[in-house]
Amino acid sequence: MSGFDNVNSDFYQTSYSIDDQSQQSYDYGGSGGPYSKQYAGYDYSQQGRFVPPDMMQPQQPYTGQIFQPTQAYTPAAPQPFYGNSFEDEPPLLEELGINFDHIWQKTLTVLHPLKEVDGSIMNETDLAGPMIFCLAFGATLLLAGKIQFGYVYGISAIGCLGMFCLLNLMSMTGVSFGCVASVLGYCLLPMILLSSFAVIFSLQGMLGIILTAGIIGWCSFSASKIFISALAMERQQLLVAYPCALLYGVFALISVF
Amino acid sequence: MADPHQLFDDTSSAQSRGYRAQQAASGLGYPATSTLPQAAFLADPVSNMAMAYGSSLAAQGKELVDKNIDRFIPVTKLKYYFAVDTVYVGKKLGLLVFPYLHQDWEVQYQQDTPVAPRFDVNAPDLYIPAMAFITYILVAGLALGTQDRFSPDLLGLQASSALAWLALEVVAILLSLYLVTVNTDLTTIDLVAFLGYKYVGMIGGVLMGLLFGKMGYYLVLGWCCVSIFVFMIRTLRLKILAQAAAEGVPVRGARNQLRMYLTMAVAAAQPLLMYWLTFHLVR
Repeated sequence: MSGFDNVNSDFYQTSYSIDDQSQQSYDYGGSGGPYSKQYAGYDYSQQGRFVPPDMMQPQQPYTGQIFQPTQAYTPAAPQPFYGNSFEDEPPLLEELGINFDHIWQKTLTVLHPLKEVDGSIMNETDLAGPMIFCLAFGATLLLAGKIQFGYVYGISAIGCLGMFCLLNLMSMTGVSFGCVASVLGYCLLPMILLSSFAVIFSLQGMLGIILTAGIIGWCSFSASKIFISALAMERQQLLVAYPCALLYGVFALISVF
Repeated sequence: MADPHQLFDDTSSAQSRGYRAQQAASGLGYPATSTLPQAAFLADPVSNMAMAYGSSLAAQGKELVDKNIDRFIPVTKLKYYFAVDTVYVGKKLGLLVFPYLHQDWEVQYQQDTPVAPRFDVNAPDLYIPAMAFITYILVAGLALGTQDRFSPDLLGLQASSALAWLALEVVAILLSLYLVTVNTDLTTIDLVAFLGYKYVGMIGGVLMGLLFGKMGYYLVLGWCCVSIFVFMIRTLRLKILAQAAAEGVPVRGARNQLRMYLTMAVAAAQPLLMYWLTFHLVR
């Protein structure tokens, strides 16, 4: 802990570490005993100093990879005083683990279906982004006069469960439920476009059918592309895309009818 | 892009994990003098223990489920039936619709175990039946929707009635196989796979019925019924009938006759069920 040398030594150095966001969060191999992983907070280690919002710091260049959370922050300011005051609490979004930057990056990946995707993109299962997209989908349906949050929730739960079982059976490596839910949630984004079209004009004509088919294809293509690269499945992209298309087809049915 | 706040730990490296454990060990000595306000609750030793207990309970529960799920659902055996690729699925679907030109129906073996479906088009798989079943339910919902008879619980009703018929078929065939005392390597999962292939024809029929009315429905369904009949006969013949009869050599004997009738009965049940499960969807 060389970084603490320049700090008051009568300081209590906390040891919070954010829980591993993937599904396998409970098998840490017994390191550090039962107390080693119970704190759902932040790792205020030497490399990650918490900056209270009222103490501005010069911006540090982001030296980590985009989709890998790394300890890339190097401190340049004196150690902030950890008091017990309300202002020193971390912002709510940090505490909840919602990182808008990462969400935006993954969204861009979904929106460019022809771009090559890195297999490690889904190493951190992030359910905040998919939650936002589901709520946005429900909201656009609401704008069109359909109060169907329950159906959206139920269908996404059943669909995620089905995809989870199927992918576990089809792939060599297994996959966690959080990863499946995360990928399917992110690829719901084009469906939000479809339901916002439905607000303006009805989708029940020929144009609506073509648009619906195109959007379903887009969603399932992105989802299958991410699954294939994350799980290293070969020559099975269409086979993975088909159940995704069925799931997104049900969402489209809700939007259209 | 500057990111001064480190928001996530890099948990992929053992080094960071070890570092965190080291820090945790040092943090244990000061349970009550936490400097971060939200940690006051967490630093309380009782809540520490509660959380540790809770998480270890969850971990144990997960292990228990993983261990026991293999007893009820043979996951590794099921994985064999899902080892498919796109080429296999394409060829198999073609075979289901047009089985008349295919010559060799034997499943290839590799040191006593059948080869995975990826490598042999004759091997049964569960991907096609599972996908076909789900598609059938959705198409049924669509068909009912276009006739304004749709409601979401009807989907559940369709699904459970189709599943019930499938279960009934499997039980009936297993029972008759037992009664005829035939020595076959036809497992239950194989049987479910074969019986699930008829959903492909049903989907085709209903879709044609939606697009072209009753005429289209009857045409496509008729064609699919005949093809599934031929497909089943050719596939089951190799499984149920004795080796000699399978090669086409007529063998006298009541047992072989009985097996022949059983095969034909199973194959004939397919078109009947295909019609029964779809005629009410097309008006």
